[in-house]
Amino acid sequence: MSEYIIKQSALADFFKSLANGRRLLSPQGVGDKCKLEETAPEKVSLDFTNTHMSPKSLLFPQTERLMAFHNEHDKPNGYVFQSALDSGEPTVVFGIRPCDARGLSIANKVFQNDRFTDPYWKGKFDRTVFIGLACDAPLPQCFCAAMGGSPFGESGLDVLAFRQTDGLGFKALTDKGTELLKAAGATEADLAGEIKSLEAKAIESQGVKPNYQPIDNLDLMDLFKDPHWEATAENCLNCGVCTFFCPTCHCFDIQDENSERGGVRMRNWDTCMSWLFTVHGTGHNPRPTKTERVRQRFMHKLKYIPLKQDGVRGCTGCGRCVVMCPVNIDIRSVALKMAQTAPTPA
Amino acid sequence: MNNPYLPYPVRIAEIRVETEDKNLRTFKFEFLNPEDEEKFAYLPGQFAELSVPGQGEIPIGIASSPSEKGFVLFTVNRVGQVSSYMHNMKAGDIMGIRGPLGHPYPLDKLKGRNLVIIAGGFAVTTLRSTITYLLQPEIRPEYGKITFIYGARTPGLLLYKDEWMAWEKRDDIDVFVTIDREVPNWGYKVGFVPSVTKEVCPPPDNTSALICGPPIMIKFTQPVLEEAGYQPENIIMSLENRMKCGLGICGRCNVGPEYVCKDGPVFTLAQLNRLPKEY
Amino acid sequence: MPQLSEITGKIRESAKKLLTSGQADVVIGYRQGTVPMATAPFFARTPEDCDQLVWSNFARVNLANYLSGRPGKVALVAKGCDARSAVGQVTENQILKDNLYLIGVPCTGMIDNNLVVAKEPRPISEVTETTDEAITVKGNGFSTDIKKEDVLRRNCKTCVNRTPKLANELVGPEVNGAAADDYADIKALLGKSLEERMAYFKDLIKDCLRCYACRNACPLCYCPICFVDETRPQWLGKSTDAMDTMTFHLLRGLHCAGRCTSCGACETACPVNIKVREFNRIMELTVQSNWQYEPGMSWDQKPPLTMFQTDDTADFIK
Repeated sequence: MSEYIIKQSALADFFKSLANGRRLLSPQGVGDKCKLEETAPEKVSLDFTNTHMSPKSLLFPQTERLMAFHNEHDKPNGYVFQSALDSGEPTVVFGIRPCDARGLSIANKVFQNDRFTDPYWKGKFDRTVFIGLACDAPLPQCFCAAMGGSPFGESGLDVLAFRQTDGLGFKALTDKGTELLKAAGATEADLAGEIKSLEAKAIESQGVKPNYQPIDNLDLMDLFKDPHWEATAENCLNCGVCTFFCPTCHCFDIQDENSERGGVRMRNWDTCMSWLFTVHGTGHNPRPTKTERVRQRFMHKLKYIPLKQDGVRGCTGCGRCVVMCPVNIDIRSVALKMAQTAPTPA
Repeated sequence: MNNPYLPYPVRIAEIRVETEDKNLRTFKFEFLNPEDEEKFAYLPGQFAELSVPGQGEIPIGIASSPSEKGFVLFTVNRVGQVSSYMHNMKAGDIMGIRGPLGHPYPLDKLKGRNLVIIAGGFAVTTLRSTITYLLQPEIRPEYGKITFIYGARTPGLLLYKDEWMAWEKRDDIDVFVTIDREVPNWGYKVGFVPSVTKEVCPPPDNTSALICGPPIMIKFTQPVLEEAGYQPENIIMSLENRMKCGLGICGRCNVGPEYVCKDGPVFTLAQLNRLPKEY
Repeated sequence: MPQLSEITGKIRESAKKLLTSGQADVVIGYRQGTVPMATAPFFARTPEDCDQLVWSNFARVNLANYLSGRPGKVALVAKGCDARSAVGQVTENQILKDNLYLIGVPCTGMIDNNLVVAKEPRPISEVTETTDEAITVKGNGFSTDIKKEDVLRRNCKTCVNRTPKLANELVGPEVNGAAADDYADIKALLGKSLEERMAYFKDLIKDCLRCYACRNACPLCYCPICFVDETRPQWLGKSTDAMDTMTFHLLRGLHCAGRCTSCGACETACPVNIKVREFNRIMELTVQSNWQYEPGMSWDQKPPLTMFQTDDTADFIK
């Protein structure tokens, strides 16, 4: 793959070309209203920090209809579910941040795992092209580099775009991305050196990287049994804000809802912070208190996902949970506590 | 695209009340579309989501054996919304099943070995599947001695009576059925599963144990087997957790990094010893 | 104008004394947050822990939320509103009065981060605060002074009970409350037609995620199982359906009637900045005008809607 440029004067045509035959989505609005929205090519803006919520709802809406049925006993299809999979439009996302694209690629390995493929996710995933916009000025709460990512990270992207003094530079990362850039008339250029130095500068602006690496080498059960969890969880309210805002949190509940002539089966975002999440029909609950639930969330992000995804952590350092948590439970502090776990002598 | 969320439509062919408290019923399902039966190719130990349109889904172990053709069996305990609703359904009603899900008991790896199969209460379902499968004339010779220990609180709470009584008469399986306390005219064993296990379980050499039962039974049976010399690799158990998708996606049934639905429900004790006890 | 460090010092001193003397097993207060414009609830159990306790213009969480069902002797750092909630926990039998010690902090109001960001939209990496009247926010190449009265949370602007009167001790000079809340906004809203009001509330909650952070941050919401989580019967759907979402907010508003102390914890916790208190304020006004009752102002008065009296003037119950 190679690099390309589009000069400022040609950007309008570039966005027009992106929108040609596709739905173009980009971050619109400011502050807590900033979200991925369908965007007219002339409305695309490069002046945003990041979307308030993660972009996961694009592929995994908070409420999604899976199937429907009619309750007519006498009809051949009475009480038989019909899939609500739709075909949807081809979509291009411009301006997703590398942390969030990485988040989607982690969730993608769950929705398309070693045994099953979620067709609702896959349909949307396959028809979407992701053009990321690198972060030349990460926010104070950002820590992607400490989590193994980068403000210029490539994971989950088809194209990485970055600002230049005159327009945008691009690195094509997939065939889909290359095609898109060529069709838009981008000029090939050697930008490897420029990207490298911009990336180094952006990473440096995130300050000293805390070392979470010991977690990778510590035994799962040592991390799990460490006594810090009770204190770590003590101020947790067990709301689900962290999970709702997290780009990699993907848990859901499946619910049926009935109307007069039939019903639908849908899935809704769920949260491991909820008592209800794991309670058995018998009343037994494997994670009965907030201590177990808080531990589950951080163990999932920092140990279970890495074990299942070749060492890639389930936290991308986007910083949303850090600033949104009403009681300031900071995953960076929790990760450091985990890293300090004393291993059981062999 | 294959949609693993979409249940196969089935018709309830028969409902049998299994226990005297009427809380357990066995549902015999027939597939509306015969080709779905082929797609639903399963092995003992797997489970399925029983899917009632408008009510929801419940994960239930498959009680029938792949050798039984033309139908599938599930024994359902009345616990929550879906199971209670199912207990009020009748033969002829349409619903759905989705699966097979999870991994089966590793019977292919156990060929040539002796098996001790231990069941408590209504968790006997997938072990009924296992024994029915093993006792097929062409399969039975592939395994050594088979011992079946099955306990319930009272005689009226024992499932599949006709079947275990028939197995008892055979000479290629040793059957020990037990109840908690003595009752008149009870011709079988009395006592809890762990103590019966201690008494009758075969020596550990070339033997694997399959256990399925309530947590309390497992908790006390496990040490009996370990004392008898069984290695954790040869103690095989089936776990339950709250589930929704059954596909390793929705997130709630995990035990450490493993999803009970996708990576289990069958685990060896050796595996479980390295995992949190969140089940 | 008290220095924050003075109040912090007094909180630490009091906390140490309580823990050393055995009057409290735990002191629940605030520690400095890990990000700008935040504090975190902190549980001090040893005199050494107490050195982490701080006072701040960002001490927004209502710590009375941690009282319900807590065993042992607890001391709580409490603003005026939090102290009222703590008293409510006693009158609603969630904790014994004898097990509770209130370290009262006369409060001049807490800051709404969104208002700070509105005034200074550049990314803020540091905040300095020395008094309870102003803060300085800093970032890459800027430093901006902001007066607290310009960025107060809206519940703090109308707060009339800033000094925790029922506290066991006060760690600062008493402060006067704001002028009485005249509920002008709510009265104007109630003057509108049913359709207009419905439209107003629908718009108010249109971004709601049903994360229930408002409920979980609320010291009144201590039910072991909230009605939205009940499964048999299941009262509410779990989707983002507008009617289900509305039902949640309406019922929560009713459940909190005559109990809410306007602490603002719900609005501070809401990740999508819904003015959740609109529901509560209507009920506050209703309870005040019907029963002249203000929650948390006395140890032995119960919320009017939790009591039945034979001389009740309402006829719906007879």
